[in-house]
Order: sequence, then structure tokens, then C-alpha cells
Amino acid sequence: MSETICISIDGKVMAAQPGDSILQTRLHGPEAVTANIGCMGQGVCGSCRCLVRKAGERETVSRLACETEVEDGMQVSFIDYYQPDHVHRYRPHDLRDGWQALPQLQQTFPETAHCRHCGGCDRACPRGIPVQQGIALASRGELPAAAALFDACIMCNLCTLACPENIRPNHVGLYLRRAQAIQNLRPGDLLRRLDQQARGQLSIDTTAHLARSES
Amino acid sequence: MEKLNQVLLNPAVQVGPDLAAWLQAGGGLGLQAALTAPTAIIRCIADADLRGMGGAGFPAWRKWEATANAVGDCKYVVCNGNEDEPGTFKDRTLLSASPHQVIEGALIAALAVRARCLIFYLNPHQGSSLHTMQQAVSQWQDSPWPEKLAAVMGHALEIKVVASSGRYIGGEETAVVASLEAGFPFPRKKPPFPAEQGINNQPTLINNVETLANVSHILRHGAGWYRALGVGKACGTKLYSLSGDVLRPGLYELPMGSSLQELVFHYGGGMLQGKAFKAVFTGGPSNTLLTARDLDVALDFDSVWLRHSRLGTGAMIVISEGSSIIRKVAEYIDFFAKGSCGQCPSCKCGTFQLARLLDRVDGGRHSPADLDALQHLCQILPGSGRCGLIDGAVTVVKSSLHTFPEEYGLLVQQPA
Repeated sequence: MSETICISIDGKVMAAQPGDSILQTRLHGPEAVTANIGCMGQGVCGSCRCLVRKAGERETVSRLACETEVEDGMQVSFIDYYQPDHVHRYRPHDLRDGWQALPQLQQTFPETAHCRHCGGCDRACPRGIPVQQGIALASRGELPAAAALFDACIMCNLCTLACPENIRPNHVGLYLRRAQAIQNLRPGDLLRRLDQQARGQLSIDTTAHLARSES
Repeated sequence: MEKLNQVLLNPAVQVGPDLAAWLQAGGGLGLQAALTAPTAIIRCIADADLRGMGGAGFPAWRKWEATANAVGDCKYVVCNGNEDEPGTFKDRTLLSASPHQVIEGALIAALAVRARCLIFYLNPHQGSSLHTMQQAVSQWQDSPWPEKLAAVMGHALEIKVVASSGRYIGGEETAVVASLEAGFPFPRKKPPFPAEQGINNQPTLINNVETLANVSHILRHGAGWYRALGVGKACGTKLYSLSGDVLRPGLYELPMGSSLQELVFHYGGGMLQGKAFKAVFTGGPSNTLLTARDLDVALDFDSVWLRHSRLGTGAMIVISEGSSIIRKVAEYIDFFAKGSCGQCPSCKCGTFQLARLLDRVDGGRHSPADLDALQHLCQILPGSGRCGLIDGAVTVVKSSLHTFPEEYGLLVQQPA
């Protein structure tokens, strides 16, 4: 058995195995985890937003618990989902006309032009997306380039929470990705995955997270 | 001797933007004394133990000396009038009712550090103070004083009135620098301090309005006179912005070191509707709460510090029994969350999560785990930001948890 280390999650000290993620450590704890969890550690749902401070470090950073490896003395606080006051609404139909994509974007997300370039979204993004650049590209009409930057976005909402101008960068990115998808042929890997799923070849192992504790 | 409103709020100096009336009321004598012996200014300020009244309580002369000794061919002096935090309303009163004592003090500061540019950095949300200052400054510019200053300094002094962004964060010292460099008021990491590298990397002296307002009086009457105004070891007077559940809220100038009891119950007229005194948020809502046990505390920087709190700007927001401390704290945290500049995710995310947890506790919808999470956040957030905003937010939450654990439903552990 490897050496056990200690981390603190929302005020509770927990024993952890080196190499485990914060989320795995939390799941192995005595209490049922009912919040800040979605895809069980696949790194695709963005639910396990948290603030992490490593032992001896001054900086506290935002991370995904499922992608962050535990370190001895690490302190972790989970963050609720942030719901802004204003929610943007648009119809898929609105995205079909490529000539109207920029004015439509400006109308739907007018605050995009207010970016104060603080860089908070870049620092907040656990995926390392250059969010501020994506917003700048979108503001000046470089829509395909902006859509490509947001391709790795998992909608954790941390950039929206971090933005002092109430821009919702991840939703701007989602809008652009949708517009891009509507006006393009579907990518091959997606078509193959859908085909596998339709033929029952793509199963989800819901007991995968138990494997480590049993070993 | 009447102890109220002796100097800055003295009715004799409330002359508005009329320079002639100010000179008639004894104005100009401090600046004249400074022009006669410019090398003695900083010594005089040090002897008077004038503190930074914007919240820090840092000895003013140290900043002055550091700026004076720093090398630079275009030094700046900035009068910081961005005042925007809850419960503080002293600077706007000084700027609109007696602007010349502020300007004269700033001119003396410019002379002491040999500045080439003096900027009055004012909050545009306080329209009357901005307007009055523009009028008052133009009267100084048209008077013989700038020539007298130039003759002693060997160069001209440019005087400007600049509207700040009006944001709370814009009052932070390094954010003032960023704002005056025509950028967004983003705080910067210190060091370097503005006294060494401020606006355009030039040495920059940044002082609060109230600090500078005292200067001409000190130069005119002497350091000994100023020191004698205070109670005990404290020097001078302080403007206290009294608000909340008191009968007579308002701005009171009292000897530095007057007691909290005296401010609330004598000058403030006591508690509203005869309710019991519960607590006071000192110096704006970013410090440790003082409670009924602390009513005897002398309201000066050092004495309040000994009670593990800070005098801050001198704002005193009084809370009576029956008011929820958690509700008040949640409101202030919301203020900080909205005021965060955005540079540090820990500040935005941390204040958001603090606000969420406090809201749940205040509404009785919390679990014991939420209280653990709240206390845990108070451990991991301090020191993680570029400026002190997140530290202030955590201090007030931590203080309320420590002082009023029963409101959070935290049982005080009894020894077994």
C-alpha cells in the first residue's frame, strides 16, 4: 500500500492516495457526494469546480477536482454553480444565416464588447483556453477562429463567474460552436461515435470508479 | 473646551469654493510657512504624527520622505478622493464644504516632495464635490500662489482635477496609479510602491483627502498644537462617519482617541428606539467587528489595532440587537463580490462562494457542512489576491463567525 497523504476538502481533513484526483479522494470519503459532481471524473461536465491552495503557496486557483491530482497539505473548497441574473436566449434558427452571425452575436451578447482585459477568465479556465482572446476575436468578427478556441470548453462556468463585466464567455463560445456546427458538415469522429452508440457498442461503465478502492 | 469639530469641520473654514473667503479665514498661512522653510515640512509632519486617514493609518511622513528621496524628474502628488465604501462619507464633505484646506495641504505636499504634477482624483458619483473642487482649483490657478511655489521649487506645478472611474477598487493605491495612466483601475502587486514607481514609473505620493486637509493646519499652528488635539498618545482629530442604528447619524470630527462609547452614546445620541447596542462595523465593512465589550476602546489607529480590528476610514456602522449580523455580512460580501476587479479568480470565485454560503445560513437552508465550508474558505482565501479586497471580505466573515457563533448555529464547545 502506498503512503497516505492528507488534504482538506471544505474543512474536512481526508486521507488520500498519491496519484488520486481530488474528486476520487472525495468519493472515497464517508459522506455521500451529492453536489459538484456529474460525469464521475471524465472531465467533461465541469461540475467539480473548486478553489485549490497548495501547501505553502500564496495563490489560490480554480480547478476541476477530477483533473487535479492531490498533494499533501492541499486545501480545497468547492464552488457552487453560478447563475447570472440575465440569461441569454436565442433560437437555433437564428444561427443559420452566416451573414447575420456577427450582428446576431452582438445583439444576443452585447456585453461582449465591454471586456476590460483583466485576464481573470484566462486564469479561471481549468482547460487553459485563452478565453479573453476568444472574446476579443468574437468582438471583431473573427467568428470561426473564436469558435475553434472554445472547442475544448466544457461549460464549467468559471469564466462567467470570474468576469467582472458579466460577460458569459463560455456561452459566447457555445453560441459560436453551434453556429459553426449548423453551417458545417459533421466531423467524422462524432459520426463514428454516434454510429457506435446506435449499434450498442458504446457502453458506459458506471462502476469504474469503484475499481481503485477494490484494488 | 468643545471637542467637536475643532479643525476640519470647524464652521469658520466651511467657506465653499471661494478662495478669498478661505484666505480671510486664515487660509494660506500654512502654505506661507511651508514656502518659508520647505525643507522643514516633512519633519513637521513627522513631529505631528499625522497618519494616513484613508484607512491604513500609516505615518504620512514616511511616504512623503520616500517620495522626496526617490529619483525622478516628474514626481506626482495625488489627492485620493475616490471614497466609495459603505458607511464612509467624510471626504465628500470636506471636498464640497471646505475644498481649500484640502488644496492647500496638497500644495504643501507637492512642495515637500518637489512634484511637478498635482492631481485631485475624485469620485464622479459625488457630483457636488467634483464640481466644487473644479471651481476651487481654478481659483488657485488664477492666484499668485502658483508663481510663489514655482519660485521656491524651481519649476512649475501643474494642477489637475481628474474624475476617477467611481469604482470602489479605484481607491486602492496602485489602482489609482493604473487609472491615472489612462487604464482600468487594476490593482498591481506591491512592491514597487508608488512612492518609488507610480504614475509613468515616476515617484508618486498618494494621500487621502482627510490626510491632506490636516496639513495646512499643522504647518500653520505647529506639530505640538496638532499632537495636543488628540486623546492620550493619539494625535490630532479624526472624522468619524457614524451610521446605522443610532439616533443622530452623521459626520463627527472628534479628538483622535475618543471612545466608541462617547461617539455612539454622546454624539450619536444613543441607540435608535432604545435598542441595545450589538456591534459596530469599523472603518467600512472590511474589518473585525467591535462589540459591547469594546465600547471603551479609544478610536485611534493603535488602540483599535490592539483589539484586533482596524480604525480604517473612521466609518462606524452601528448594529442594534435584533439585527442579523449574518444578513449584514452577506450584504457586504455581495458588495465586495461586485467590486472585485476580476484579475484574481480567487477573489471573484471566493466572494461568490462566501456570499452563497452566507445566504444559505441566513435563510436557514444550510447544512453543518456549509458552516465547515465557510470556515474553510476563510482559511484558503486570505493573501491570494493582488490587493487587499479578498482579505477584507474574509476578515469580516471570520470576525462574525468568531464574535457571533450562536447566530451561525455554531455551539460554543463546553469543556468535558
